[in-house]
Order: sequence, then structure tokens, then C-alpha cells
Amino acid sequence: MTADFIQLLVGGILLGGIYGLAAFGLSITFGVLNVLNLAHGEFLMLGSLMSYGLFIGLGINPFMAAILVIPVFMLLGVGFYLLLLKPIMDKPPHQLLVASILVTLGASLFIEDVTAFFWERPVTGISYSLPPMELAGVVISSTRLLILLFIFALACGMQIYLKKTYVGKSIRAIVQGREGAKIVGIPISRVSALAFSIGMALAASAGAFYVTLFTVTPTMGIPLTIKYLCVVVLGGLGSIVGSIFGGLILGVAETLTAYYCGAEWSPTIAFILLILILIIKPEGLFGAKK
Amino acid sequence: MNRRGKKLFYLVVLLLCLLLAALPWIGFSYAVVWIFLLAVYFTLALSYDIVGGYMGYMNLGHSTFFGLGAYTTAILLNQGFNLFAALLGALLLTAVFAAVVSYPLFRLRGAYFALATFGLISLIEVLTTNLRDLTGGSGGISTPPGNHMIPSYYLVLAVAGGTMVLSQIVARSKFGLALFSIREDEEVAAAFGVPTTLYKCLALIISSAPASLVGGIYVWNMTYISPNSVFGLEIALSPIIMAMLGGTGIMIGPLVGAVFITVVQEFLWTKVPYFHLAMYGTVLVLLGLFMPGGLVRTRFIKPFIQWLGLGETVDYFKNADAERIP
Repeated sequence: MTADFIQLLVGGILLGGIYGLAAFGLSITFGVLNVLNLAHGEFLMLGSLMSYGLFIGLGINPFMAAILVIPVFMLLGVGFYLLLLKPIMDKPPHQLLVASILVTLGASLFIEDVTAFFWERPVTGISYSLPPMELAGVVISSTRLLILLFIFALACGMQIYLKKTYVGKSIRAIVQGREGAKIVGIPISRVSALAFSIGMALAASAGAFYVTLFTVTPTMGIPLTIKYLCVVVLGGLGSIVGSIFGGLILGVAETLTAYYCGAEWSPTIAFILLILILIIKPEGLFGAKK
Repeated sequence: MNRRGKKLFYLVVLLLCLLLAALPWIGFSYAVVWIFLLAVYFTLALSYDIVGGYMGYMNLGHSTFFGLGAYTTAILLNQGFNLFAALLGALLLTAVFAAVVSYPLFRLRGAYFALATFGLISLIEVLTTNLRDLTGGSGGISTPPGNHMIPSYYLVLAVAGGTMVLSQIVARSKFGLALFSIREDEEVAAAFGVPTTLYKCLALIISSAPASLVGGIYVWNMTYISPNSVFGLEIALSPIIMAMLGGTGIMIGPLVGAVFITVVQEFLWTKVPYFHLAMYGTVLVLLGLFMPGGLVRTRFIKPFIQWLGLGETVDYFKNADAERIP
């Protein structure tokens, strides 16, 4: 019983780490661009696909793949930003909101449909595993543990990048106040492009791990984006610690729900958590009160 | 405002109404089905516009109300209620549902609100799939069979007409003005004494009513629905795309959008079996990039709309330049 529970907890934490990583990408793009990227989940899906392709075609393991997808998706992110988001960035707030939802939702549908068209068979996850570990009677898959460590390292790296480097500081400055950042001479457009590509790369990197655990389907993008929204709201906007914690809470909650109430109920828990946090603490667990 | 334009416009509207009323009796049965679906989508687009256009909150989950209305009607019809009792039940349930979800959802703004409402659809879809005893699960639900095409055609037209009247009443009332002010700047509106929370909730309830009625009529006509058919992406997104394409915040907008999209679907999309969703996506991207104001606010159509005397709310983004920080 306890062993079961701990197993579930470990599974949930791992799932949560993946959610947290991708959700932080969403949160950083929203903070910098003021645009909620509804196509975020699609990039996780594409990241999963690419890492799957690398594994099947070249035998590259998911950890290498998670690093390899980063430059590719950063380029893709810059392209996406320049082509679709930069033209609308100068619009006044209400128009920007409508335009950004239309553009990102449209892009997401487009990616989904085109991927579904070229999809040959369902990708059933990578069968990549290392010998399992036994710890006080609990069997823990060492692959999962490594993934968790990897995600943790990536999150720490991100945190240091944002706090210590010049570009990281300018990203945070834009999050705090766009106009102020403009006044002190931060090149908004270039930094925005960078932040967007970082967000994209984090999603894709999370996708590389996602495929080792779950089945990937072309239609999973939008439901995933909704889960990230839940994570972001849960953790508080723009905070990396909040995103990771929000992700962990959601991951554990989903795993526990799937075990105790049946797998068909696990998609509802994200929304229930979202509603609860909105009623109890609308600014999120780690968010600053406005 | 142009008197002659107005007269001509009313004449055309009258003729159109007569034509629509006569349609089933002059033997265009295909046109009847087509207009039925057009009216369903148009009503959804127009009722979406009350929250999405007038109030400026993009409610991507508008089809939740449609699906709830459809399911409630189907269940009540199976219990032996007559159509009007079932529709009334659906209306009430959806209104209560809208009131309940409005409290947490309206704590979100902008894109977050849009995404959360979008999530609401999948929540309700999962619920309908899981509550097998009540809704028949993923297998769907059937209502008592029968050919209700012509009565449901008239009913749906009546609801569409009623929604147009409702939308116009809302737009011209003090309540509507309050909604416009929420769209332009919610803090300022609240500071001037607009009870924003109450009005947002009311607007959601008002916009949910036509959607649930149309859902009920839809299931009465189709006699079968499944979670996928009423909570799917197609029915969730088409009304919003129609409203956006035509132009939000103005009654003529969803009409233009709905007619345009259904005509395009009819003549183009039936020829191409693939990439429907991708085409929707492309339309959305192009709309967002080039004309978030919609068709009726483009340079070519706007003067015509104004000539018809429908242009009071065409200048939707008139403060756009004042808001822009140089």
C-alpha cells in the first residue's frame, strides 16, 4: 500500500517535472510578450516527435535528444515570432489580445492537422530504459530519476541565466515593465524573440521526455496547453519556482486521481485545480499580489 | 444614417424573411437543411458576440452551452417531457451553469480567460463521457425518432431572430453601454460605478440562453448526438471564427461571417477531403494578422454598412490610436 503510494508519488513528480518545464516556457513567453501562446502544446508534441525520430532513426537516447532539440526549436521559435507575432506586437491592448489568440490558435490548429495528416501510426513512446533501482523496498525506474534530475538541472540553469546574465536580466526587466525596459534601452524586439525561442525550446525539451513515458498523438497539443495554463495560474505568473511547483502538484494530483478514481477522470483534475485556485488564491501560490 | 438606405434595407430584410418562410413549401429541401445549419451557427456566433464582442472577453468555450442545452433537452425528451418543457429545462440549467462558472472564470482576464473557457469544453466533454448512466457515455444519446425538419427549421429561425432582437436590445441599453465600457477599460468602468462582476455574470447568462435553445432544437432535429459532435472542435470554433471574420461587437458582423463561411464550406471544402482544420487555422492566422476588426470593418465594406444605417458600432476600435504609446 505504502509502496504503491510512493510509486505513484514518484510517477506524479516526474510527470509534474515535465509539466513544470513546459509551463515555465509558457509563462516566460507570456511575461515578456504579453501573448499567451496557445500553440505551446503543439511544440511539445513536435519536440516529442523529433526525439522519437532521433531515437528510432539514429538510436540517440532521449537525454541527448532533449539537448539536441533545443537549438532546433530555438530557431523555429525565432521564425514563429518574426513571422506571426512581431507584426501584431504594436497593436493596442485589446486588439493585440484578439489578434494573438487568433494567430496562435490558428497556428496550433494548422500544426495539429498537418501533423495528423503525415502521421503514419501512433507513436507509442520510446522503449528506452536503464536497470531499475530498489530503495527501501520501493522499485524506482532509474530512467525516471535521471529525467527528473535532468529537468531539475535545466530549471536551475534557467534560473541562473535569468538572475545573473545581462540578457536574462533584460528578460526579467521586460516582464516587470515593458515601457520602462524600452526607456532604459533594452532592444525589446530582439529580447522578445529570444524569450519566445527559449520558451519554445523548453517545451520541446519537455516533449523529448514526454515521449519516453506516454503515447504521443497529434491532437494532444491543445489539451496540454490548457494543463500548462492551469500550472501557470497555480504557481503564479512568471515565477520559475511557481511553475515547477504547480507542475508537481498537477502531476501528483493527476496520477493519484488516475489510480484511485479511474484513468477516465484524470483529465478533469487540472480544471478542478484551476477553479479551486481561482476561488481561493487568484494570484497563484508563488505569484505577487497585484 | 441614410433614410433611403434604411428603407431599401428593410425592404430587403422583409423579402428575405418571406423567402425563408416560404422555403420549405417551394420544395428546396436541401436548402432547408442548409439554412437550418446556417441559422444554428449564426445564432451561436451572435450569442458569442455578446460576451466576446460587446464585453471583449473571448469566450472560446461558448459551445459548452450548446452542448449542455443539447444534452439536457435529449435527456428530458427521453423522460417523456414535451419539446417546450425540455427546452425550458435546458435553458434554465444552462443559465444556472453559466452563473456558477462565471464566478471563478471572470477572475481571469484576456488570454487566460480564453484558454480557461476553452478548457471548460473538454471538462464537460469528459463529464458527459464518464457519466454513462445519464448521458449514454461516448456512444452518444438518441431522442425519440421522427422527422422534425420543418418545425425545427421554423423554430431555429425564430430563435435566430430572437437572438438578433436580444443582441440589439443589449447593444442599445444602458447595460450594453456598461459592457462596452468593460471592454475598453475594466478598471475605469468599475471606478465609474459599473458593477462589473454582476454585469459580466449577466452577460454570460444572456449569451448562454440562445446557445442552449439552439442546442436543444438541434438535437430534436438530429435525434442523435455524441459528446464529440456537440463538444468537438468544429462546433466550438466555427461560430467564433464566423463572428471574428464578420466583425465582432456589431450585429451584422456574425451574419456576414456565418453566411461567408457556410458558403465557402459548401462550395470549396466539400471538394477537399483533408486539411479542414488546417484551413480553419490559416483563416484564423490571416484574420489575426491582417484584419482583427473583421470583414465589416474593412475599407471596402464599411462605407456600405454605414450607408445602410447600420454603422453606429462599426467604429469599434476608434480609440485605438489614443491608447497607443508612441
